[in-house]
Amino acid sequence: MSSSRGIMSDVEWRSPAGRVIVAIFFVFLVVVTLAFLFPFVFTFTAGLKTSSTITDPGLNLFPKLPQWKNYLEVWQRYDMIGMFANTFYVAAGIVVGRLLVSSMAAYSISKLKPAGKRIIEVFILLTMAVPMMAYLIPLYVTLTDLPILHISLVNTYWGLWLPGAGSAFYILVLKNSFDQIPKEIYDAAAMDGASPVRSFLSMTLPLSTPILIVLGLLTFVGAWGDFLLPKLILLQPSLQTISVRLYALDRIFPLNLKMAGAFIALLPPLIAVLLFQRYMKSGLTF
Amino acid sequence: MTPSTSGSQTKRARSFQPRKIFDQIYAYLFLAPALLIFAFFSWNPIFKTVIFSFEKVGLRGPTGWVGLKNYIRMFGNPLFGTAWVNTLEFVILSIIFGFMVPILLALMIREMRRFGPFFQVITYIPTLVPVVVALLVWRMIYYPEGGVLNSFLALLHVPPQLWLQNPHLVKFALILVMTWMGAGGSILIYLAALGEINPEIYEAAELDGVSPIQRILFLTLPLLKSRMAMMMVLQIVAVTQVFTEPFILSTGGPGNSSLTPVLQIYRTAFENSDFGLASTWSVSLLVVLGTFMALYVWLNHKNEEQRLA
Repeated sequence: MSSSRGIMSDVEWRSPAGRVIVAIFFVFLVVVTLAFLFPFVFTFTAGLKTSSTITDPGLNLFPKLPQWKNYLEVWQRYDMIGMFANTFYVAAGIVVGRLLVSSMAAYSISKLKPAGKRIIEVFILLTMAVPMMAYLIPLYVTLTDLPILHISLVNTYWGLWLPGAGSAFYILVLKNSFDQIPKEIYDAAAMDGASPVRSFLSMTLPLSTPILIVLGLLTFVGAWGDFLLPKLILLQPSLQTISVRLYALDRIFPLNLKMAGAFIALLPPLIAVLLFQRYMKSGLTF
Repeated sequence: MTPSTSGSQTKRARSFQPRKIFDQIYAYLFLAPALLIFAFFSWNPIFKTVIFSFEKVGLRGPTGWVGLKNYIRMFGNPLFGTAWVNTLEFVILSIIFGFMVPILLALMIREMRRFGPFFQVITYIPTLVPVVVALLVWRMIYYPEGGVLNSFLALLHVPPQLWLQNPHLVKFALILVMTWMGAGGSILIYLAALGEINPEIYEAAELDGVSPIQRILFLTLPLLKSRMAMMMVLQIVAVTQVFTEPFILSTGGPGNSSLTPVLQIYRTAFENSDFGLASTWSVSLLVVLGTFMALYVWLNHKNEEQRLA
């Protein structure tokens, strides 16, 4: 394949000068890789130390007497399973809500020609200009006392699911994707008596599975690590997500146990990378 | 759309008015959840931010109009200048490190024939880690006595540093963590952009005797320019809202040298229960972020047009 060349051609790549450049790049990248992975290794071995040796001077990366029981202790005392379950529940709810709300809206804008389409697009897309951090305080006030209904969503997952469901960026991406589906097949389906709901469920969504998976993964990763809003909404410890819980426990536990807990919390992303590698490549490139 | 289809459509619409209303009901039913969510959880708080900034607001809601008093208090507070100057320094540091590093790494990874995907995945892993977990780990790495970074530097005969307690180092220490966490995502985007460049351009340049370094400087980088401009604006927007890093690693210190606007908003609201003043700070953030996001949308639009042309 001729397109396999990079900035250097294959011939240059194999020339002596090319080999030197490639070797320099390679060594540099290996060093960078080690630096990128180092915090993971460090967390793992720090979690194996005793609380008295963890701050010993010197690089002693691997403890002489690894305390495997630290991991067992932290697994139980942190209620890791509960924490993971909460985080999963929060993230999964945001994924489902956001994909459903965004794909429905994008379908309507792309295919159903709502009256006042321009105004609706502006209404939705303009929110992209205002990141959530800028209106966090009134958002929190809104969530403690919903307008009209006067319900507080503090200590409920709805307090994270509902604001998490709206994303102008996702609507934009999905609308652009739905625009690619030819209009003719919708016309044909309508001729056969398919309602817009039917067309949405049996054509639009199945045809857009790849992009929905990518957007779902992106949302999940983001929601999995969210901190500030979950910290404000989930006050009850039994409801808290990993980030909120680890922060709350930070003052209580000794350093070695905190590192063991942190390492367990680092595992899901590592596993996710191995499982979903092929989707990640297309994940951020819209 | 071809003229014939639009013509037949208007004819159909004219002859079947009830059908058109029926279609509109469906269209709006599909839009309803999004419109409600955006009304309640985006526009409502955005407008309230502006209104609250002119009011006295406690934990139980607004208790009275105070005019410009909150603004006078905000501008009169020396921390206003501190927080925004800190933000500017964070942005500059993040452009030097967080912005340049991914470009450099992407260029190198692209030239790796076999191990490229491996390096790409490794650099992407930190982006998946929950920020809080990463920060608890990095705080330990930066630990002044017996911390692993100082222990490592001791091997190179570098004296131990107070990474998070020295006002001259704390911003760099925070940017280093942010670069670790964010580089992978940017690398993905740059690799995709590099992949879009037609290799024939390089082939032609090579035949003309243009060296690889010159190709990078005069071909690759100019072709990446529009993408780089967008990434830079996005990075400025992200760094301007930074909260969790200084909150956990340095609590805004030492001596407010890593205080950021969002951290100050958080403190004003949740430590001093002054939601009105916190909203005034939010308005200042809103103005800055809104400006940069508008710039981003404009660049994005220009980019799309270029791609289509």
